[in-house]
Amino acid sequence: MTQMIAIAAAELRLMLRSRLALIGLAALLLLSGIAAVTSAVQTASASATRAAAQAATDEQFKTQPSRHPHRMVHYGTYALRPVGPLAAFDPGVDSFTGTVLFLEGHRQNSATFGAARESSDLVRFGQLTPAFVLQTLAPLLLVFLGFATVARERERGSLRALSAHGASAASILGGKVLALGGVALLAMAPALMALAWAALRHPGEGGIATLIALAYGVYLLVWVIGITAISALARTSQGALVTLLAIWAIVVVLVPRAAAGWAGVAEPLPSRVDTEFAIAADLRRMGDSHNPDDPHFAAFKQRILKQYGVATVDELPVNYRGLVGAEGERLTSELFALYAARADAIQLGQSARLETLGVLSPALAVRRASMVGAATDVATHLAFMNRAEAYRYQLIQRLNGLQVTQVSSADDRARSRDPLADQRTRISADFWKTMPQFQLAPSAPATRAAAMLPAMALLAFWLAIGVGLLWLARRNLDQTAA
Amino acid sequence: MPTPPLFIADLVVERGDKRIVDGLSLSLAPGEIYALLGGNGAGKSTTLFAILGFLERQGGSLTVGGVDVAANPDAVRRQVAYLPENVALYDHLTARENVDYFLKVAGCPRSRADVDAGFEGVGLAAAAWDERAARFSKGMRQKTAIALALLRETPLMLLDEPTSGLDPAAAGDFHRLLETLGRRGVAVLMVTHDLLGAADTADRIGLIQAGRIAREWTASPTVPRFDLNALHSGFASAR
Repeated sequence: MTQMIAIAAAELRLMLRSRLALIGLAALLLLSGIAAVTSAVQTASASATRAAAQAATDEQFKTQPSRHPHRMVHYGTYALRPVGPLAAFDPGVDSFTGTVLFLEGHRQNSATFGAARESSDLVRFGQLTPAFVLQTLAPLLLVFLGFATVARERERGSLRALSAHGASAASILGGKVLALGGVALLAMAPALMALAWAALRHPGEGGIATLIALAYGVYLLVWVIGITAISALARTSQGALVTLLAIWAIVVVLVPRAAAGWAGVAEPLPSRVDTEFAIAADLRRMGDSHNPDDPHFAAFKQRILKQYGVATVDELPVNYRGLVGAEGERLTSELFALYAARADAIQLGQSARLETLGVLSPALAVRRASMVGAATDVATHLAFMNRAEAYRYQLIQRLNGLQVTQVSSADDRARSRDPLADQRTRISADFWKTMPQFQLAPSAPATRAAAMLPAMALLAFWLAIGVGLLWLARRNLDQTAA
Repeated sequence: MPTPPLFIADLVVERGDKRIVDGLSLSLAPGEIYALLGGNGAGKSTTLFAILGFLERQGGSLTVGGVDVAANPDAVRRQVAYLPENVALYDHLTARENVDYFLKVAGCPRSRADVDAGFEGVGLAAAAWDERAARFSKGMRQKTAIALALLRETPLMLLDEPTSGLDPAAAGDFHRLLETLGRRGVAVLMVTHDLLGAADTADRIGLIQAGRIAREWTASPTVPRFDLNALHSGFASAR
């Protein structure tokens, strides 16, 4: 162990005395620090903006004057996706999916106002976030700092000198891993501080933040071990550099993008336009509540008349228009739910495929673990959409219920020509204040931790591969000391 | 009978399909200085690598202080100070830092005063002690490495062309140093082309040819210690 520490200390001293290494490390720390600060500021701003917008839209709904309930159905309201508790560390898909959903009767809208669409084109190439720095830039810095860690010793003959002084191959490699690992830890520091800061602001997130930190720790350890092993296996440091840069490009850049493309091809998601057309066609087939000859609504009418034991809708003790509105909403919502479930299944399927492809790239595995832990993954976005749809349906049906029970059919029919009848169809403004508000809590940390397990297992798999490679390197060093 | 610091019997070492050392036998007593001479490719450095466990042997036996090299190369290397022909110092470290580092790796750290004394003993100018090795001449590197080898205080030293790069005065000083080591009981195996230096210092001189000791001369207790003409003609015939 003393040998290993001495070798690690010498390697660190070499880095400290290398201007290039210092500049690289300083640049990464600067980038990491900037990412941590800007991401924290942006997330805090987005969180405050969304909370304020949600409060404002809730307030607007509550302060509506006395109105006919169906006008409120069309007035609608907004649901804004709350910013995840650890989104300052890893915003995940937040920038690419919409964050605002307009909720109204008869329609299920798409979320809008994704940051990537609202911001400059640069956002589309990946935001500078602590997670991005750790996933993409930190491995690159480690490659530049560590590609020659063993190869350099071999080239200048000091590897043999070390061996001659009793340093075993395991000690040499262990010392190199220790030194590069120390640099990796330093590189992680600003990002980890951002994570700790985000966790501290949200009690209960400490455990999951630790798990995320562990995932990144394992990810960078895989790089550290891999870089050391390749450096020991390569004949020259130049060869090691070229090999490691190629691996970085494939693992960090190529595979994640190709995997996303492959998942999209394997499980294609219909475009929003196609879905809208399909829903419209289904709606036409389903029934038209305004058409007296429509078979579905004719049967519905007969069922209601029978239920209340009357012969005509005028004799009903409730407002038939309200009942038709509620039935129409039920039917369309069932259809929306069906299409949404299909789309969700496809998106979750794509996500699962991407997760599986973590077997080809540890970057994919850590990205998945990070987004799931930070509650900024696709599943979290879909949970928001589904929760918002459930809230929309509940709100609209509550308004339809008001029309059924609080607005008489006679007044409803006469309100366009009789101002007094129109007045009577209006529900008191006080009622809007009692309407429930949209709320969405992030999934429990324990649930997210469980969802992180497959990605963590993949990282463990990569660590095992790294250790295997290091074992090969050790054997190679033992055999080629002369 | 005490365990010899180095014992080699019928050593066979191959590199690829070529047999470099072929039945070499050699045993060193404590304090004995042995100079191994021979032409290029005769197997001198290969023998040193085999002793250090850098190369596997294909036959024979090889022990250092009674420890089989093949069984425990790391333990053997801790008992051996090796001075390579091309000294590999770290350019970014000073002479003192280089020595401190290798001594730590070898598990025998020394005090600052000891290291200073070591540098003084090999004639490395004091101004160079805390200078980075990047600016060192070959001779300065060699002196730093010799100081390091001496500071390890191992029972066996392996020297590969130790006076290469040293000026005649420094080479002379080095030979005096070897004699001191010999008196302290350190066994030295020195691979060299320096016939005169070997004759000046060694207790025995072996001529290696085709991977084995072809001829051997033992120093006479009287001056001249070796018959230089015989040595020269023996060496010339081996080339």
